[in-house]
Amino acid sequence: MNRIRPFAYFEAGTVAEAVGLLAREGSGAYALAGGTDLLAQMKMGTLTPRVLINLKRIAGLNGIGREPGKGLRIGSLVSISGIEHSPLVRESHRVLAEAAGGLGSPSIRNLGTLGGNIGRASPASDMAPSLIVLRARMLVEGLQGKREVETDGFWKGPGATVLAAGELITAFLVPDMGPGSGAAYMRLGRREGMDCTLAGVAVCLTLSESGSGLKDARVALAAVAATPMRAKRVEEVLLSGSLTEERMKEAARAAAADSCPVSDIRASDTYRKALVEVLTYRGLAKALRLAKGATS
Amino acid sequence: MKTLYVGKSVPRLDGMEKVTGRAVYCVDVELPGMLYAAVLRSPHAHARILGIDTSQAKAAPGVKVVVTGKDVPYTFGEMIKDQPFLAMDRVRYVGEPVAAVAAESELEALEALRKIQVEYEEMPAVFDPREALRDGAPILHPDLAEYVRSSIYDIVPGTNVCMIRRYSLGNVEEGFREADEIFDDEFYIHAVAHTPMETHAAVAQYAPLENAFTVWSSTDGPHRRAKELAGSLGVSLNQVRFISTYSGGGFGGKGSMVAEVLAVALAKFSRGRPVKLVYSREEELTASQTRHAAFLRLKTGMKRDGTFTARQADIIWDKGAYASKGIDVAYRGMLTIVGPYRIPHVDLLSRLAYTNKQCGGAYRGFGTIQVTWACESQMDIIAHKLGIDPLEIRLKNAYVDGDRYINGQVLTTVGLKETLREAGREIGWGKPKPKPDGTKVRGTGIASVIKPTATPTDSYCYIKLSQDGSVVLFSGTPEIGAGQKTVLAQIAADTIGVPLSSIAVPNVDTAVAPFDSGTTSSRATFHMGNAVRLAGEKVRREILTIAAEILNTEPDRLSLSEGIITGDGAGEGKTLVSVLAKKFPRGGTILGEGHYSPEGSPLLAAMPGRERLSSIFWMFATHAIEIEVDTETGIVRVLKVAAAHDVGRAINPVLCEQQIEGSVIMGLSNALFEEFRTAKGRILNATLADYKLATMMDLPEIVPLMIETYHQEGPFGAKGVGEPAAAPTAPAIANAIFDAIGVRIKDLPITPEKILAALHEKR
Amino acid sequence: MKVPIKLLVNGEPHQLEVAPNETLVELLRERLHLTGTKEGCGVGDCGTCIVLLEGIPVNSCLVLAVDANGRHVATIEGLGDERKLHPLQESYLEKGAVQCGFCTPGMIMSGKALLDQNPAAGEDEIRRALSGVLCRCGAYKKIVEAVKAAGEKMQGAR
Repeated sequence: MNRIRPFAYFEAGTVAEAVGLLAREGSGAYALAGGTDLLAQMKMGTLTPRVLINLKRIAGLNGIGREPGKGLRIGSLVSISGIEHSPLVRESHRVLAEAAGGLGSPSIRNLGTLGGNIGRASPASDMAPSLIVLRARMLVEGLQGKREVETDGFWKGPGATVLAAGELITAFLVPDMGPGSGAAYMRLGRREGMDCTLAGVAVCLTLSESGSGLKDARVALAAVAATPMRAKRVEEVLLSGSLTEERMKEAARAAAADSCPVSDIRASDTYRKALVEVLTYRGLAKALRLAKGATS
Repeated sequence: MKTLYVGKSVPRLDGMEKVTGRAVYCVDVELPGMLYAAVLRSPHAHARILGIDTSQAKAAPGVKVVVTGKDVPYTFGEMIKDQPFLAMDRVRYVGEPVAAVAAESELEALEALRKIQVEYEEMPAVFDPREALRDGAPILHPDLAEYVRSSIYDIVPGTNVCMIRRYSLGNVEEGFREADEIFDDEFYIHAVAHTPMETHAAVAQYAPLENAFTVWSSTDGPHRRAKELAGSLGVSLNQVRFISTYSGGGFGGKGSMVAEVLAVALAKFSRGRPVKLVYSREEELTASQTRHAAFLRLKTGMKRDGTFTARQADIIWDKGAYASKGIDVAYRGMLTIVGPYRIPHVDLLSRLAYTNKQCGGAYRGFGTIQVTWACESQMDIIAHKLGIDPLEIRLKNAYVDGDRYINGQVLTTVGLKETLREAGREIGWGKPKPKPDGTKVRGTGIASVIKPTATPTDSYCYIKLSQDGSVVLFSGTPEIGAGQKTVLAQIAADTIGVPLSSIAVPNVDTAVAPFDSGTTSSRATFHMGNAVRLAGEKVRREILTIAAEILNTEPDRLSLSEGIITGDGAGEGKTLVSVLAKKFPRGGTILGEGHYSPEGSPLLAAMPGRERLSSIFWMFATHAIEIEVDTETGIVRVLKVAAAHDVGRAINPVLCEQQIEGSVIMGLSNALFEEFRTAKGRILNATLADYKLATMMDLPEIVPLMIETYHQEGPFGAKGVGEPAAAPTAPAIANAIFDAIGVRIKDLPITPEKILAALHEKR
Repeated sequence: MKVPIKLLVNGEPHQLEVAPNETLVELLRERLHLTGTKEGCGVGDCGTCIVLLEGIPVNSCLVLAVDANGRHVATIEGLGDERKLHPLQESYLEKGAVQCGFCTPGMIMSGKALLDQNPAAGEDEIRRALSGVLCRCGAYKKIVEAVKAAGEKMQGAR
């Protein structure tokens, strides 16, 4: 069976220590969080880190808390299943819990972390679209100090982010959705369980106080571009007038048109586009229901 | 005969070991001084090997042995010895073993592989079996005519034809002239991987003084592997010992030597230290064996009333790089493309073509999955064209007792119609279709299968009864997960007349157990069950003879049941133990030997010269499946499978259910999720993330239905059940899809893309 | 480089020196000779390596041995034996949920984690909890029945 090749190993006790180690060790040094992606790649031989810096001894990064009137703060080392089952998350940002619940398998969700998932920068990240539509921001710490980064625009390409060398995500700040809001994440793979996403669509809608239109609309897609992508044109369509059946279908078509999936061993580009259209429509319908006060 | 155990779902003999994690599989074997192996594999689909430099690898840390083809210039293969232990002058598929290393740890062995240099000269490769048959195709085995072949069959030297076979009955042209409608359809079925949860593995140890090998393996046929290995190495059978471990799944894939030859190659040079090789999942998916892909063309003549006049079949099987069991798969498969139906005129052609890919091997069904895909898909095409209900048309043509198979063999215990009716009833065949639920449309489909068992084969066993009444059954039938041990113990217990708990069935050791053709072809219950019955009867007779002596009576005046002897002179009953204690005061053994082969059975009588096609028993099954298609996404969900099987007699009903339920999942998974994605002969999706098996979430409602027809020569009437259920699932799903949305998918796998594309075309 | 670790495995304390590149499944199988936990793929795709780490199911092939330091690991060997079986083990035998048995430890440990949290778990919840363990024998139907039956036993025992 596959074996991991030897590496130099460090355990960081604090974020500062981890940042310092990453800077000192330079290229070939990787931060180890949940390990579900990193260790799997090392076993397959697609990644051979010279150095691993284990982040899991750092205290204070695996909590979920509410800042009243503001939103959630989710530590970057919170496990995916932690998000899936968190009563706080389910209460205020259910879409995040649902997205988390569709990722991988239960045992993988117990190991994988939100920071790892986002930092890994897979175009097919199931967590990314929801964070984008919820306007989540990330707290990041590096040699230059701390800063906040928007999730929208965080990714530059497969495996690439705006993080500087040695910068680590420490927490996610997810602002509360306004009243009259509803959010949904729809995804499909090839089989029902334990599958990677062929296309994922996150939608967050806020009804306008008057009339039948929307005050706000955010749409983001996974697995159909080089990075998780915000579908701005779709948002424009949604905000262009009252949200009729016809407008929703037009928005769905726009999402498909704007997506730029590739054909790979998992699916063809045409199929992924077809899924985008279907999932966008279904996501809009669900988000609208939730915005109007339905519970599911 | 009244049975206490046969017919009951007694708990598995191996169950306790497995639920407590103590069962030892080949991957768990640990021996003193054991070395760990790793294999260097070809990156090219077809290339000459110009040179291999292993000097640096030999000097690497922890390394004890490095071998290449030159060190072990042997070939193997049950039908034709076309496969080298390690590649010699050329490689024929991506993943072919080129060198192997044994080291103190697996990591050190893997690291040493990086230090081996191989110089290749790439050659043109061929991946499509149809292209492989055309003039000018690259030839994989230019020396085909020189290979040792163990049976007479046709090859065509200088080509990629591994096998060509033809079978005819009557006159198809006449049959087509008599037809009112002629159907001519082409089908394709893809290669799939066996994907057992336990990858291929082997531990081998060599005793230099005796020139003898011991191999630990989870193979399904230890005696046959021992015979093959001894033949390849040029040693006697008593110099090759196979010890079976528990198997973490075989499904036919462990029906040939895979890891064994590599472990043996290393063990030969490791100065007596055992060598363990465990395939990675990537190796399992790319360099073990697959189910043969096939192109099938069916031309069928029908009368307007829905009866057959003729069938002509032309099948091209994708062999991959080496023959393995493919020759028999292609032949046996061809013969059942007629389905379980009466067809007067038949002309069948089967060609097996070498290609530069991982080779095909035995896969649950042994050719029937492929031909059933074609036969049962076309059956529905026919039904719809003629305006006859798909269940009705099958009932109309279905074999019944007394019908003759295409070689003239008279068929008995044909439970086919019962399976059709039962499956149809359970699925609610003919009930009004529910209205579409949004974009989701439902449909129902049905398909049947006929499957023979390899005939003739052989089973020998010993039953040893010790003076304390405990019994050991030495059989060469490995437990590969279907409950073989349990069923044999049940038969032994009832035949001898002792409690089930007194019977031990150790794992197979070819040094001790007599020959058996192995756990394959759904043959174990029938053949080894009969051998056990025969041996058990001998043991029983000897017990009663001894008891009669002691009790001063005649043996036929005594009975034995649950270890208690009753009858004349036995009073309230004498325990078996007390009788044996008297007979064997210092210790002793009663040994019963049983041998069963169907050879010479009158049931096999057929047209002169065609007896080889007869099967000692035929298995029949029908699946009726309800599915739901999401017309927006193309995703198919299987809702319910009614799987009706003619099992002859259910020796252990729960174990029969396990086989039916299990192979339904396998058939569903093969049809909907599994596919090799390749480029230039390299498999791109060699992980279980991207080679997708059905998970718990894909489980439909499965209703297994067993029909008992009581085979006259089967032990207590049993036939077999392990293989048939994997076959009708795919065509039944395809037929249900047609029922739902009027789309006919003719090439597997059935993917959402194909469904959407077909729906768009329809519009 | 060797890293000293202390861990509890099935309640028994162990003190070991492990290499950083050693995984938990390798530690269990090769150091402690607890071969009940299997390694079917090595990269987290099959679930046969699932053990409970502080009661939570994880793919032990993707956990470094160093990350088990100070933790409690529960494997199939600690669940029960012929003297006293866990209700899951009993139900697996009763319902015929074992075929080749290779996925059985991963399935049972996943089932244990579920039933410890919710012995009244229904079929949907059971399927989801076990969705990360592949069974090629296709024993899913009887496995679900076994977990349900075990849950009923565990509820009865409370």
